[in-house]
Amino acid sequence: MILAVIIVSGIGAFLATVLVFAERVITNYGDVEIDINKGSKKFTVRGGGSLLETLTQQKIFVPSACGGRGTCAYCKVKVLEGGGALLPTEEPYMDKKERADNVRLACQVKVRNDIKIEIPEELFAIKEFTCTCEKIIDLTYDIKQYNLKLVEPQTIKYTPGQYIQLLSPPYEKSSEEVYRAYSISSDPADNTGIELIVRRVPDGIATTYLFDYLKEGQTVRINGPYGTFYLRDTNVPIVFIAGGSGIAPIKCMLHHMKNTKNTRQAVFFFGVRTTKDLFLIEEMKQFEKELHDFTFVPVVSQPEEDSGWTGVTGRVTDVAVEFLKKQGDVSNREGYLCGSPGMIDSAVKVLADLGIPEERHYYDKFA
Amino acid sequence: MKKSPQQKKLEDMLQPSKFSAEGFMGTDTRSVWEIIDADATELEKHGKTCAEVAERMQELTDIGKPALEEWVEVGAKLKVKVEDHRGAIPCPWPHHVRCVKRITTVVYKPTGRTIRWSDLNIHLIKEHGFFEGRGAAFRLEPRELIETIF
Repeated sequence: MILAVIIVSGIGAFLATVLVFAERVITNYGDVEIDINKGSKKFTVRGGGSLLETLTQQKIFVPSACGGRGTCAYCKVKVLEGGGALLPTEEPYMDKKERADNVRLACQVKVRNDIKIEIPEELFAIKEFTCTCEKIIDLTYDIKQYNLKLVEPQTIKYTPGQYIQLLSPPYEKSSEEVYRAYSISSDPADNTGIELIVRRVPDGIATTYLFDYLKEGQTVRINGPYGTFYLRDTNVPIVFIAGGSGIAPIKCMLHHMKNTKNTRQAVFFFGVRTTKDLFLIEEMKQFEKELHDFTFVPVVSQPEEDSGWTGVTGRVTDVAVEFLKKQGDVSNREGYLCGSPGMIDSAVKVLADLGIPEERHYYDKFA
Repeated sequence: MKKSPQQKKLEDMLQPSKFSAEGFMGTDTRSVWEIIDADATELEKHGKTCAEVAERMQELTDIGKPALEEWVEVGAKLKVKVEDHRGAIPCPWPHHVRCVKRITTVVYKPTGRTIRWSDLNIHLIKEHGFFEGRGAAFRLEPRELIETIF
């Protein structure tokens, strides 16, 4: 009996040793070089990890939402050399052109040898930040404002209109870390913190964490900034259209206009469903006083009978079209839109109907 | 019977993940195929197919969409509201389908019964016959759904 136990234990120990040896020797890829954008950045790393995790370790943040499971297809990069053949796990996510251009999912490419890749230059500017949640403010029954103070690094540089990704850590209702995108709504004059405006998503992982679990004083991790939604440097009059929490990047742009004494004419149509969904009205009225030529038009589509609402009623896009038509030819304007895909689609149509060409429609679609 | 790698990946994707805190199986102890079979039998009892159910759901979502989160009356008995949220969620099946986080709420006015679904629900029913496991946040009971929307 004792002999049998000794023999079984011995075999077990032998197999474990073989496994450890195999891991160290057989799967040891040694040092490999990663060359990004034709030598623009090069570094040597220990091979064996996925390209996505290797880049993250080097503080290069390629967007990813699924944590390397190969399902979100956000982490597409061009692999010019050394990535091996396209894997069956990547095939469903690549169209013909992407295959021809050697586009790969960074999470599926294993770094086994020297590798040459191409990524958008702006990804080099993305940093990871540790913050303290300084203040949480209830704006409506389903929208909250979060003021995050940067701890490390202590300052952030972003273009008003851009967004960050916030890390929702594992908590009671979610066992995994997830990142979700939120627009920055703060005054860019203060580069030591950021403000976010977040609407609760029913059963959403990150918003449940933010609404029900995150407390003032706790640590929050973010990375960014991302995005190409920002105020173009022209003198053309502006039409802003936003719904609900879509006000966030527009608020940031308005702060920026005030800080830079921008004299551009601007009108902001802000749509909500009921008066209970209205928020930041006083702040917007203050912008009307402080900016050179800014008009704020809050629009409620279905005001409650007892709300006493005397403002503009209707669908925000209908109100915008009516308002702008009265101004004569508005085809020279730029449109900045932020909100749900439905609202954006409707607003894009409105701008086009008003003669504003598509190349001057800028939007941040919640998708 | 041994599971194929594809089957294993699917079962993994249906569990709580970075996209769905509670996963698509909820507290259901049946396999995904057992759930699909049982719900198909339930549909048959009511004389409907997955395609017909998904088509009607899509029709109601499409009616609500242009109203930008306002309630819309549909006939005498239904009212519909469609809300869009930031982000997208991929289908757990291994193909490249990603649905925006759009939630349709339908109220059957005579009883006040309220049912909600996401765009992903419509896709899962139409393409995979999957109504999700019991206890999942977006599980739809075929009988209740049919009685409400048809």
